[in-house]
Amino acid sequence: MHEMECRVLSIQSHVVRGYVGNKSASFPLQVLGFEVDSINSVQFSNHTGYSHWKGQVLTADELHVLYEGIKLNNVHHYDYVLTGYTRDTSFLEMVVDIVQELKRANPNLVYGVYPSLCQPYYVPENLHPVYKNKVVPVADIITPNQFEAELLTGKNISTEKDAVEVMDLLHKMGPDTVVITSSDLPSRLGDRFLVSLGSQRTLMPDGTKSTQRVRMEIPKVDAVFVGTGDLFAAMLLAWTHHYPNDLKTACEKTFSVMHHVIKRTISYAHDLAGPGRKPSPPQLELRMVQSKADIEDPAIVMEATVLNL
Amino acid sequence: MECRVLSIQSHVVRGYVGNKSATFPLQVLGFEVDSINSVQFSNHTGYTHWKGQVLTAEELNVLYEGIKLNNVNHYDYILTGYTRDTSFLETVVDIVQELKRLNPKLVYVCDPVMGDQGSMYVPENILPVYRDQVVAVADILTPNQFEAELLTGRTISTEKDALDLLHQMGPDTVVLTSTDLTSPHGDQFLARIRIEMPKVDAVFVGTGDLFTAMLLAWSHHHPNDLKAACEKTVSVLHHVIKRTITYANEMAGPGKRPNPAQLELRMVQSKKDIEDPDIVVEATIL
Repeated sequence: MHEMECRVLSIQSHVVRGYVGNKSASFPLQVLGFEVDSINSVQFSNHTGYSHWKGQVLTADELHVLYEGIKLNNVHHYDYVLTGYTRDTSFLEMVVDIVQELKRANPNLVYGVYPSLCQPYYVPENLHPVYKNKVVPVADIITPNQFEAELLTGKNISTEKDAVEVMDLLHKMGPDTVVITSSDLPSRLGDRFLVSLGSQRTLMPDGTKSTQRVRMEIPKVDAVFVGTGDLFAAMLLAWTHHYPNDLKTACEKTFSVMHHVIKRTISYAHDLAGPGRKPSPPQLELRMVQSKADIEDPAIVMEATVLNL
Repeated sequence: MECRVLSIQSHVVRGYVGNKSATFPLQVLGFEVDSINSVQFSNHTGYTHWKGQVLTAEELNVLYEGIKLNNVNHYDYILTGYTRDTSFLETVVDIVQELKRLNPKLVYVCDPVMGDQGSMYVPENILPVYRDQVVAVADILTPNQFEAELLTGRTISTEKDALDLLHQMGPDTVVLTSTDLTSPHGDQFLARIRIEMPKVDAVFVGTGDLFTAMLLAWSHHHPNDLKAACEKTVSVLHHVIKRTITYANEMAGPGKRPNPAQLELRMVQSKKDIEDPDIVVEATIL
């Protein structure tokens, strides 16, 4: 049986307990057969939504040292790079240098970016220009929420048409695959749903560019999750790998995995918290390990509409 | 299954040793794994080059404090392996003791990594810490023959002597392994077993970490049946190693010896064998 040979370099946070950053991305990618090399940008006890958190950060220099080790052994060959939440501009700039070098070593490398800029946790403002001017131009897949998409392009989204224009602007800036993971746009299914949109630009054999745009209505959840954006970016990487010219299917699989993991997590969290009580951050940690079967083979629970524009 | 493991081991960016070797298989088997990375290196030290950073005892303490402050310092298992630093190891012992006070049923699985075949590959001053502090709080211990001799202070003429002495020092379960995995001898108090398995013609890194992690998992599922636990554990190692050798030889090409990068365990590709290993060895009860 031919085994999949696909190596991802994931540069994200590590938490001792819980599922954010590399803890959120690695297991599901490995379960799907990807080799995952992981550089931990920080090591914290847990994510910063708990009452307390403690740990250490990796400097840009230390990141460089780790990369040097990989390079000296001549094993710096990757099919994908994946990055998410970063606090530090010099760290992010070092990441960009590494990505550029890896792309020279493998021009087919795909760089997936979760541009975590507008989140319920601290992100320094001086990161915005680094993302806009340095990261996005070398990104191939990007997964902003609505606010992040607006920030990066300087354009507001009030209608679906605006969203499509913003995604086109992002394509012009770099990435061929854009998914706006959530937006305030009104859903056709009512206010218990939010709207996500995706756009994928491909080069046709005749040299022209073709763009597939999709829209999804996603059930809202009544909780704040941490780590879901990291899981989403990792799974979008996996499913666009398996469906490279079919954003519709890649999105259906990705959003379906999210649905199953979140649903399982909410049930469990409420069981632990007890009736009428709001679950705590530890109780809301994603039920990742328990969702292995859903990660491997997600039952499709939502349909993406292809937009005809 | 609700079972939470605290694993304090190395992290490598690339490859499968320490936490990289232990975490995925335990998660695949349904364990929640909290992992403290004692170092972050580019790759294991068997490659031509390696680079990275180490965690100090103080930094380990800080991470544990974070867990404790959130009142989530509740574990069913602790797992440790290769450690070079005495103060780090002493801090681990403090943490284990505190976690055992919180959960008296906690099982500490310890691989007392110190050396093999007559030579130590950690600083010598680690030995007294293992011998006098760590082993006393360990519940499952997986020394090789050399490490068993170091810990007991004597050359071992029979496995029975070694096992008896090690039990007296603390752990109720002892599995005597060796790097080429020939004839591991296991002992769980009154049950003694022996396993014969074929030697492999390669040097692997990370197999000890995988062995210890899988012994944790299978002794959890077969708590009073060391025979079954060891058969499953050794079988998993067999499948992973076999797959790895095949792949490494293909990558290297005919007549060429595979390099460390090529010999990295085929961990992800062995998921099914990890989940449900075909039993390929039989343990004899002595």
